[in-house]
Amino acid sequence: MPKIPAAKLEPGMKLARPITAKSGMVMLGEGTELSDMWIERIRDMNIASVFIEGPPIQTISKEEALSNLEERFSQVEGKPYMNLIKKIVKEHVEGLYE
Amino acid sequence: MSNIDQKLLRHKVENINTLPTVPTVLKRLSAIIEKPRITMVEISNFISNDPALTSKVLKMVNSAIYGFPGRISSVSHATMLLGLNVIKGLLLGVSVFELMQKTMNGLYEHSLACAVVSRTIAQKKGLKDPEEVSVAGLLHDIGKVVLMLEFQKEYEAAMKEAQTKRISIFEAEQNQFGATHAHVGSWLAEKWRFPRNLIEVMEFHHRPALAKNAPLETAIVHLADILVRARGCGFAGENLVPAVHPAAFELIALAEADIKDVLKEMENNMEAAEDLS
Repeated sequence: MPKIPAAKLEPGMKLARPITAKSGMVMLGEGTELSDMWIERIRDMNIASVFIEGPPIQTISKEEALSNLEERFSQVEGKPYMNLIKKIVKEHVEGLYE
Repeated sequence: MSNIDQKLLRHKVENINTLPTVPTVLKRLSAIIEKPRITMVEISNFISNDPALTSKVLKMVNSAIYGFPGRISSVSHATMLLGLNVIKGLLLGVSVFELMQKTMNGLYEHSLACAVVSRTIAQKKGLKDPEEVSVAGLLHDIGKVVLMLEFQKEYEAAMKEAQTKRISIFEAEQNQFGATHAHVGSWLAEKWRFPRNLIEVMEFHHRPALAKNAPLETAIVHLADILVRARGCGFAGENLVPAVHPAAFELIALAEADIKDVLKEMENNMEAAEDLS
């Protein structure tokens, strides 16, 4: 669910999170497909960026993410259940890059 | 050895309302929530009279972190749905947000992620009040903020010690202060008249075997803390994953697929977290 700056919105994108006013009132609901008109309104409302449906954008490379993971687990190798937890988290992280 | 007297430490923490480093908004809130018979209406009015606070609370309850995305439009509706204890916790959570950002960069992300993970596990285990467990996850490290505010030099020394000796921040705090953020958090929770279960979770989230009233809730926040660190989400004092307490892991007894779901839920919500400030 990437966060896209208002300037880069394109028709057909779907909102992954509702757009709310300062008061908390929902202006556009979750799942709304953006049209040219909605995009214009969003820009008019001075909203900086919105959440769009789709796979997340990762800020670091897969190699870096996995090496950080190894580092974090370095003190608990072999402790009960920690290898299992590490395996699950590793698969999860790898899944983010598919 | 620690050079801070435990009694003095506790005294300082309990008098948070008079600490010069604590911002006014948190002092006012602290004074409100420690009242013995505070009513829902009083809390509701307190929030509603502050537009900035109102918008923060509504954003938070409408985020997926609380599981009511986009459906709550008024403070009174929020207090009705979530109940007094959850609202008190939530208010603290949104009020310490900026403090967390200032005192320990990444602690808020860590806390939010723990809130999401705690709620998701609580739901999977069929707990009656997953929102209360979520609040426990959100606030479990609040002691770190207060320690950092009042003893910045000592706390930075503790973080440094954790880094150089490759020990947990929990151990380093024990060395520096003779007490940990878990103690500090539970003293505050007691002062703020949070329910027994929440106090226990805050006190024992690093030692879940000691929880008597709320062993499952405590185990959940303990595991949530570990999973969030494992994923590398936010920062809580050092970058190491602590070992899970085996009995706590067995008590929760999540299947592998469940843990994967929990991680996915966290991932989905974390991108939205930065929007909650």
